Amino acid sequence: MNRLTGSLAVIAGLLGLGLWLWLQDTGWRWDLPDDLPPPQVPADNPMHWAKVELGRWLFYDTRLSGNKTMSCASCHIQALAFTDGKPRSIGSTGEVHPRSSMSLVNVAYASRLDWANPLLDRLEDQALTPLLGDNPVEMGLGGHEDRVTELLREERYSQLVTRAFPNDADPHSLLNAVRAIASFVRTITSFDSPYDRYLAGEAGAISDSAVRGMELFFSERLECFHCHGGFNFTDSTTHVNTRIERVGYHNTGLYNLDGNGAYPSDNTGLFDMTGERRDMGRFKAPTLRNIAVTAPYMHDGSVATLDDVIAHYQRGGRRLDDGPYAGDGRLSPFKSEFVTGFELSDDERADLVAFLESLTDESLLNAPDLANPFAQ
Amino acid sequence: MPARNILALCLAALCLSCSRWDLGLEIPFVATWNGEPLTCDSADPALTDLRFYVSNPQLVTAEGKARDIGFTVEMPWQNDVVALVDLEDGKGACQNGTAELATQVVGVTRAGEYNTLRFTVGVPFRLNHSNPLTASPPLDDPDMHWHWRSGYKFLSAGVRTASDGFWIHVGSTGCEGTVGNITGCRFPNRIEVELKGFVPGESQVAVDLAKLTSGVDLSDGMATDCSSGPAEEACDAPFRAFGIDFATGRQDGEQSVFSLR
Repeated sequence: MNRLTGSLAVIAGLLGLGLWLWLQDTGWRWDLPDDLPPPQVPADNPMHWAKVELGRWLFYDTRLSGNKTMSCASCHIQALAFTDGKPRSIGSTGEVHPRSSMSLVNVAYASRLDWANPLLDRLEDQALTPLLGDNPVEMGLGGHEDRVTELLREERYSQLVTRAFPNDADPHSLLNAVRAIASFVRTITSFDSPYDRYLAGEAGAISDSAVRGMELFFSERLECFHCHGGFNFTDSTTHVNTRIERVGYHNTGLYNLDGNGAYPSDNTGLFDMTGERRDMGRFKAPTLRNIAVTAPYMHDGSVATLDDVIAHYQRGGRRLDDGPYAGDGRLSPFKSEFVTGFELSDDERADLVAFLESLTDESLLNAPDLANPFAQ
Repeated sequence: MPARNILALCLAALCLSCSRWDLGLEIPFVATWNGEPLTCDSADPALTDLRFYVSNPQLVTAEGKARDIGFTVEMPWQNDVVALVDLEDGKGACQNGTAELATQVVGVTRAGEYNTLRFTVGVPFRLNHSNPLTASPPLDDPDMHWHWRSGYKFLSAGVRTASDGFWIHVGSTGCEGTVGNITGCRFPNRIEVELKGFVPGESQVAVDLAKLTSGVDLSDGMATDCSSGPAEEACDAPFRAFGIDFATGRQDGEQSVFSLR
């Protein structure tokens, strides 16, 4: 064997070894449409199948709540696109949360988390609020943090912990539990709705009515897409190729308590975080993917149906005639310039609803790898 | 003179300087209601919570010369920058508390004639936005952290009367940036305390919850709470008691809650 063939053999061997190692231990591969960039993942918590699987068990484990009555999945139910169907969520001790449970669908692509928290851009940080927060109490794990260590040492979890955090001297930590849950939640992706199949060229995937509704949705007359734009139908979207990060918060004229744009004091949106008057009532535009299964709507669940949501935007703000929240949101000085109202016939409204229903991804609602492992 | 003797002399001088320059301090804190001790087991009112972080401690001489007090590291209650004072023992009305108490802060400063104690109730900005899951004590208590606002509750306090109650969480709000990269906070809400007539080794610092709630209606049967959120009207009076203008988050007056006894 001459020197050249020898070298080639070595190179080929190294390439083969590299390929073998890559196949063995990439740890994770995203299952996404070919043209979609993967989401950003924090450098200190890379994706790994064992972490995702551990996170799935923890997501469904009621022992992560103080009184062992609820898990993450109690407020994020797969069949409801990881919402809970309630106007406002109820914590483990019965406390009613001011806000409605947000869908976790495609949350890996969210540039900011929660309804209106500009500080939170990593699921690893966000998870601490539902787990440990005391105002309101959600899962109420505060004071029971040691239980997480015991849990991760159990046989079911300890093998996954070892695979997920092989170089960690103290792997049975709340920090790692949170990392695992965040990794699992990043896998809750939805890009296989009838609308996606229609875009991919399957002409009959959505009805003619839905096609007309799609045209209305993307029209300047209705302006829906200004806030609910892009592949994830929200303007707060990011991915690995994002160069300029966008975050949008909008006052949609739901409330105007005092004629000066005030929202109910327990739900002032971005204002609660910044203290800036102009931020009153500004909330993130949630993704519209699977929106048909996530009623009731808005940050406080105060709008019952998609029809009612469209009626609200058609009017350009909501007027409440009685009760503590009476006022005309249309006249709010803080309202978004895109919420100006529009004309819409009954047929057109039905078309728009048909389009929104075409964003429901049955494969997400039934995916076995997102389902409760305790029940499998 | 042999080198050994010189070394011995130097060591002696060093020890002398220790005794001459170092003043060890144990500063006790006590919860009170109009001057009387207040505990979780008190009848009416009862303490429901009282925990706070102390930083930037100083002693001041009669001439106005301020000297820093260096915290000695006393895990898990204090590192060299910040100390956690915990005056609730988890009994009685302190339902969500813990049995452990931390009733004093411990430090050292240069010997001298001092008559004033100063400190800040708060966590310095450079430590305030740590991750409580990875921070070292006393900043590792998730209960004293505001996960959604990023940062610590500088002070968590409450009282319960027979028919009413009040609680308050003080911390920086209106923060900018993202968790892990917070660049500043519009409303710092740190409480600056200056107590004249301080006698090292004798004075106690009283935290008077009656002073804190002097502007709060504790007889209307409507529990009042203040969590430092913007435009929370219930915060105006207690923040005034801390000397802070709640609209700006900055101290513009004397606090009245902390005093010497």
